[in-house]
Amino acid sequence: MTITTRGIAESLAYGGFIAAILLLPLVMDDVFWLNRIAKYLVFGMLGVAIALSWGYAGVLNLGQGLFFGLGAYMVAMSLKLQSYTSLQQGSDTPVPDFMLWNAEPGAPTDLCCINQGSFLWIPFQAQWFGIVMALIVPTLIALALAWPIFRLRVSGVYVAIITLAMVLLVRLLIIDAQPITNGFNGLTDLGWLTIGGFEFDPYLVETYYLVAVSLAIALLATRWLVSTKAGLILQSTRDDANRARYLGYNVAAYQVFFFAVSAGIAGFAGLLYVIAAEFASPSFMDLAFSISMVVWAAVGGRGSLLGACIGAILINTIEATASETEVLQEAWKAIIGLVFVLVVLFMPRGLAGVALDAVAWIAPKRKLGPAPLAQQEPAE
Amino acid sequence: MSEILFIGLSLSSILLLIALGLSITYGAMGVINMAHGELVMIGAYTAVLAGIYLGLNLFFALPLAFLMAGVVGLLIERLVIRRLYGRIIDTLLATWGVAILLQQAIRLEFGLTFFGIHIEGLGPGLQNMAVPGFLTQPFDLWGLTIQPYRSFIIVLTLILTGVTWFLMYRTSIGMQVRAIMRNPQMAAACGIDVRRVSMLTFAYGSGLAGVAGVLLAGFKTVQPDMGASVVVDGFLVVVVGGVGSLFGTLASAGILGQINGSIAVLTNDILARAVVFGVVILLILWKPRGLFSMRSR
Repeated sequence: MTITTRGIAESLAYGGFIAAILLLPLVMDDVFWLNRIAKYLVFGMLGVAIALSWGYAGVLNLGQGLFFGLGAYMVAMSLKLQSYTSLQQGSDTPVPDFMLWNAEPGAPTDLCCINQGSFLWIPFQAQWFGIVMALIVPTLIALALAWPIFRLRVSGVYVAIITLAMVLLVRLLIIDAQPITNGFNGLTDLGWLTIGGFEFDPYLVETYYLVAVSLAIALLATRWLVSTKAGLILQSTRDDANRARYLGYNVAAYQVFFFAVSAGIAGFAGLLYVIAAEFASPSFMDLAFSISMVVWAAVGGRGSLLGACIGAILINTIEATASETEVLQEAWKAIIGLVFVLVVLFMPRGLAGVALDAVAWIAPKRKLGPAPLAQQEPAE
Repeated sequence: MSEILFIGLSLSSILLLIALGLSITYGAMGVINMAHGELVMIGAYTAVLAGIYLGLNLFFALPLAFLMAGVVGLLIERLVIRRLYGRIIDTLLATWGVAILLQQAIRLEFGLTFFGIHIEGLGPGLQNMAVPGFLTQPFDLWGLTIQPYRSFIIVLTLILTGVTWFLMYRTSIGMQVRAIMRNPQMAAACGIDVRRVSMLTFAYGSGLAGVAGVLLAGFKTVQPDMGASVVVDGFLVVVVGGVGSLFGTLASAGILGQINGSIAVLTNDILARAVVFGVVILLILWKPRGLFSMRSR
């Protein structure tokens, strides 16, 4: 491996970022803010997922909220059954309170048969089941969705439209399945994640560390994954799928694999978000949320995992600060809109692009590789 | 049966109304304009404001909204989209920002709330547009109950589709637009002023959104985020119909509207929409270029 200025700068950036998020609790002792930052770190993880599929695979997934939401719902079901609201319904086994509110008169107070779909909740009485499902279900759905898409060589903006339709479809199904999902209201009043007798109260430093360490691992693992041979082949399919095909690679297999990895990361983010925020709601699958994720990644730099991650954290922190400042309370949304427009127009490579240019400017002697950024396909 | 058909038809006509403008801006120009819904919203607010301040009814609001949305569209094209031709995903992101800006402009009354000034008809609240009385009384025709306002929408949509077809296929500017669709470089080489034609085309598509807004205002409450929910439907119609095909947009609006209408009658609105999304996904997987795609490049 050759040591380049860019390589050093990148290692420093990753190291610095991870150190910063791990050391933050030492300087910030406001648990309320720590909990908030934990949520934004989760959004940072979504930025990583977007950068992986968009920046490295050249596949814009406008339905990343689907996988985030599924992960969130899976773990929220388990945590709901652990909540005191589910334990005090006059039966030996936990039953979610909303099921009782809507139960038909005379229905037995038990998950087996309180309503038609409630048996689906039975395995979620074990917390580990919800956690495992939060990782497996998004990944499997992503595989099932990506397989036909990439086998049929659907590409570009059509992938974006299919994923967009998919997230809205599932959102409607969840809202419609009101008896088992609590519809629009989502799952609230959740219990706490409990591991080895330790309860992860969202307002504990330990919970912050759970999220921060998870983000660090996800970031480094993804960075490693894209530097493997498979990752390089993936980037070649982004730059020219036909050329990669002629070289004998099974393009679809790589695209499906990385699409599923990206979905798995989003599912993991959903899991962590529920632990930090204590609710799951269909709004996770709103179109606006999925597009916002893409915009965070665009602001941070779609071609850089760390850039997209920092972009997500930065925008959310600024939003939270601005929406609480008296003067900006009303205007912050307009400002955010303006920032989106300006970034797309004048900083197409985002903050990461600016940082790379700065590195190149400081060390002009060395030959630097150009930032890996896909050319957008020409319009139809 | 005819009831279901009519519900489907009226859903189709609204879909078509929204998709018509998009089929031009997306279909012809390759711009994913997420602010299209906000242009619809601006049309609706134009109707509300025209009613309050000028005492104009629906019919006079229609051309006014066309102009208003057209001018806003022209500005969007000049300031943002012009720099992004050929970068289709970037047009989506940038216009998403524009959409947020436009929504907030209405909600904050163009920033005047900061100075404590209130403009009646704007702001975060709900607004209504009065529909002339003779359009609201249902009447019987050959044993069918006709909803005059719905019928008015259907007829006007068909007229607008016809006008658009005429402009695109029977006028010289339409020929220039179609030339640019096929190959902008060659069109420019043949002496077509690509920038000017693109700008006018975009403004026309935006104007159609404004008209759609006025008609929507007749049966929906007018609010700053009313456009956000319709823009996706419009896109799906255009993509399923086939990029660049006016007939495809017409057919696909008809098909999707009928599916939505029939399933809504059998089950409920939510499931009906879910089924439409499912059908759209399968159709795009089957024919990514749409049911009636134009052969090009």
